Amino acid sequence: MSCGQIDWKGYVLGEISHPERKAAEAHAAACSPCREELERLRLTQGLLQSLAEEEIPQRIAFVSDKVLAPSWWARLWQSGPRLGFASAAMLAAAILVHAWVRPPVAIQPPAPDQAAIEAIVEREVARRLDEALARAAAAWEAQEAERRAKLLREVREEFEIRRREERAQIEQAFEVLHKRLNVMHLASAWRAEER
Amino acid sequence: MIFREVEDRDLVGKARRGDVEAYNRLVSRWEKRLYNYLLKLVGDREDALDLTQEVFLKAYQALKKLEDPSRFAPWLYRIAHNEAYSLLRRRRPEEELDEIAPPWAASRLLPAETALAVAAALRRLPEEQREAVVLKIYEGFKFEEIASILDCPVSTVKSRVYAALDRLKEALAPIRTRGEAG
Repeated sequence: MSCGQIDWKGYVLGEISHPERKAAEAHAAACSPCREELERLRLTQGLLQSLAEEEIPQRIAFVSDKVLAPSWWARLWQSGPRLGFASAAMLAAAILVHAWVRPPVAIQPPAPDQAAIEAIVEREVARRLDEALARAAAAWEAQEAERRAKLLREVREEFEIRRREERAQIEQAFEVLHKRLNVMHLASAWRAEER
Repeated sequence: MIFREVEDRDLVGKARRGDVEAYNRLVSRWEKRLYNYLLKLVGDREDALDLTQEVFLKAYQALKKLEDPSRFAPWLYRIAHNEAYSLLRRRRPEEELDEIAPPWAASRLLPAETALAVAAALRRLPEEQREAVVLKIYEGFKFEEIASILDCPVSTVKSRVYAALDRLKEALAPIRTRGEAG
């Protein structure tokens, strides 16, 4: 084997077969230039490998870490008959939301505002006053209406009584007049017979 | 390189079935190496960390697209390669990469000047050669695996790594000579 046939870089890098390694070592034992080339390559490789690996400054976020972990719904989504599950889950969620949703509870009450409170009180007082006035007015109107109705009933009753009295008087007057006419008629007849 | 193919494959299978803890184990297993790979490519710790996070997130989201679970690592590095080059393409007009001292220059395992020289030599490599040599020397992938990561022929990977070694051998020759003299 000649010097040009030996792949010394492949030898140093471990990229030649075992028989080739044996042949190269046998050649180097008898060839000074090849021994020097092999030594230079080994020293170069040694210098390169002497650079220490650095420790990683911080651990890599694992997929189980919160930032990378798949969410529970993602794991469910990636499992089984996802469409059927998704439909059922959405339906169940809709029913639950419909049944249980309540107005949000205020966690912290708003800071007191004196002006706002006063305005609210004023509005409430005005509202109650208006209501009281309205109730009083309605009561007065009801009483007045009742009084007018009673008065009207009394006037009508008195009118009716007077009408009946006057009618009776008129009937009596007619009856008297009728009797007087009869008397006059009889008297006239009696005078004619006497003649 | 020990791939622990069976374990990776099993963990990928469990993660695909929704076992989050299995994916967590994959992250723990690969995060440091992936971070260092990205650090050597982009040269900035913060960017490397962000990219590492992004790569693991994208990998998790695309885990079901991995055709061969036993090849999780090359697939993961493929995602990392794409993310890193997206960043490099965005920042390239604004920086002269050769002028920036890489963050690993101050390695405590070597004298400062030697670490600086090695880091600078790596930095001066063309991006394609640098990535190929990082994947080979530091990450320990086989040529075939690097080819799948970079989406190029094995012959291309081999030529990039060999060319990079020639450049590095020349660039680091003074250090070797001094070391031999000392």
